[in-house]
Amino acid sequence: MSTKILIVDDEPRYVRLMEANLLTEGYQVIPAYNGQEALNIVTNQKPDLVILDIMMPVLDGFTVCERIREFSNIPIIMVTAKGEERDRIRGLDLGADDYIVKPFSATELLARVRAVLRRAQKYDMMPQQSVVTHGNLRIDFARAEVFRDDRMVFLSATEYRLLLQMAQNIGRVIPSEKLLQDVWGEEYSEDKEILWVSISRLRQKLEDDPRDPKHIVTRSGLGYTIPIIE
Amino acid sequence: MFDVYSPSAALRPQELEAVYAISRAVAQAKDIDPALDEIIQLTRSVFIFDNMVIHIAHDGGMLEPVYARVVGRGRSAEADLAWGEGTAQEAYRNVQTTLEHEELDGWQQERLALRDFLGLPLRTGEELMGALVFGRFGGPPYTPDQILLAEFIASHVAQLMGRRKLVEHIANLEADRKLTQLQSDFIATVTHELCTPLGFIKGYATTLLRDDTTWDENVRREFLTIIDEEADRLRELIDSLLDSSRLQAGTLQMQFQNVRLDSFLRDITMRARTCHESVNLALELNAQGIMVQADSTRLAQVFDNLLVNAVKYAPGSQITVTLDIADNMAHVVVHDTGPGISPEHIERLFQRFYRVPDTSASVRGTGLGLYICRQLVNAHNGEITVESRVGEGTTFHIYLPIQQVQLDTTIMQEVIQ
Repeated sequence: MSTKILIVDDEPRYVRLMEANLLTEGYQVIPAYNGQEALNIVTNQKPDLVILDIMMPVLDGFTVCERIREFSNIPIIMVTAKGEERDRIRGLDLGADDYIVKPFSATELLARVRAVLRRAQKYDMMPQQSVVTHGNLRIDFARAEVFRDDRMVFLSATEYRLLLQMAQNIGRVIPSEKLLQDVWGEEYSEDKEILWVSISRLRQKLEDDPRDPKHIVTRSGLGYTIPIIE
Repeated sequence: MFDVYSPSAALRPQELEAVYAISRAVAQAKDIDPALDEIIQLTRSVFIFDNMVIHIAHDGGMLEPVYARVVGRGRSAEADLAWGEGTAQEAYRNVQTTLEHEELDGWQQERLALRDFLGLPLRTGEELMGALVFGRFGGPPYTPDQILLAEFIASHVAQLMGRRKLVEHIANLEADRKLTQLQSDFIATVTHELCTPLGFIKGYATTLLRDDTTWDENVRREFLTIIDEEADRLRELIDSLLDSSRLQAGTLQMQFQNVRLDSFLRDITMRARTCHESVNLALELNAQGIMVQADSTRLAQVFDNLLVNAVKYAPGSQITVTLDIADNMAHVVVHDTGPGISPEHIERLFQRFYRVPDTSASVRGTGLGLYICRQLVNAHNGEITVESRVGEGTTFHIYLPIQQVQLDTTIMQEVIQ
């Protein structure tokens, strides 16, 4: 079955633009022209990826992203306007996996879509058997589930992949560039911002005190590590 | 002439009562001037004076009278803010209570010529704001108790003036903040408006340029048409922005000439019918031969814009353009029977970049059209207004000063369907 991509934009010409390009790559496209419609489609048709415009009347992209994250870890690419740094951070903060800045080229759009789907796919196919425990944290690789104090923690595909990279290398410091390359892809290795936001989100979800993290620790100037607990 | 007084006396019970009332008036003051009036009224019950002036210092130490009351004997003379100005300056300069006694020539005949001024510095904490002067005509001189009381009153007036200064300061800051906000909103809106067509051009052009796929002829044409239309939209937007900023700066060049409105409107409506084939447009000329002074290109821009709006926002509705005379002005009405505009948006329709939120998504627009219309009509010494009822339609009224009515004028009704 082909990959289903939901495109949400109130400008029909943007929907058409993205649809035309995605169809050539063999993706199945579901268009939506407002936030409410998008939420219904995510619930009922379970697409594999959402491309979500921020500037929409009534229900904006941030709200839609936030609501989707309440019940689904489907990959989300936010579409932001150029120069809106805050929007990008806010989108990532709300759990978006990536963003694309308008105006964008067709090839850039396709590259982003491929990269995000690749990450999500690895998440599904990770052939791990074991369970790793770290303090009050338990990661079940086989089921791709994370528990904190025996309660399941809801992680987006990107967040899970990021945690996985570190959990498979407990005690080792992984450089930021390496994390960016492994989790996001080669083209993201300079994009520290996206890493910081994801690390911060992970800490919010996993740490008792995100300001004094015990699971995901920063090694200044080197990278990040899940330290060995003595 | 000047001497300095150091107070030491105590207040009497009735004075304490007034003092308490003054404190309360200051503490409860919402507006400064009524509170000052109340303080002066309360002061009068325990302290005799004929005039009082509050001087506030400006940058550089110049005192300026900002509040004055003339009561009792002072009323018989014309209120004179200069009374006691020297005393005020002295009190302000030395930051001390200052007494001044003046005896003008001819004081034997005129009580007003015998004057006692009491100058009191106005300060809150470290800040010296100005001085308060009480004037008394024809005695008696101020007693130590009264001076102590006056100092108390001055300290309360100072509190009020300090508060006024803060209020003004906050108002200035708020105005600055609003201006900055307006400017940054403007830039954000312009950027967004410019980026939207640009985004389509970039997106569709790069789509056509993809070398890993081919597009059939229909799709190619579709995409190229979008690129072409968006380029036009970009140009329109830039033109509108230039117009609006020129209008705002008053630098838009207008070339006025005599324009005969009936034939002018005939041209406009005919052109609209050509551009929008499906439009249901009627022209009613209830007055003919009306000449106005107009820049015909700019005036045409106004009507074109109103008609395009009617076509866009009231699709399929009956549009009527009417010309008549109202209050000695040429009166053109552009009326549609579309969905109408709800009252909360009506007032803001002519604001730059304002768009009725519900329609913004479905209909393209910059939010500049009506702003430009109003500016252009104003530049013709005219007026444009709008009225609308939801579900019934929208009516624009344009009033233009009549230059002359040609003599062959016959009032008739002509309907061109």
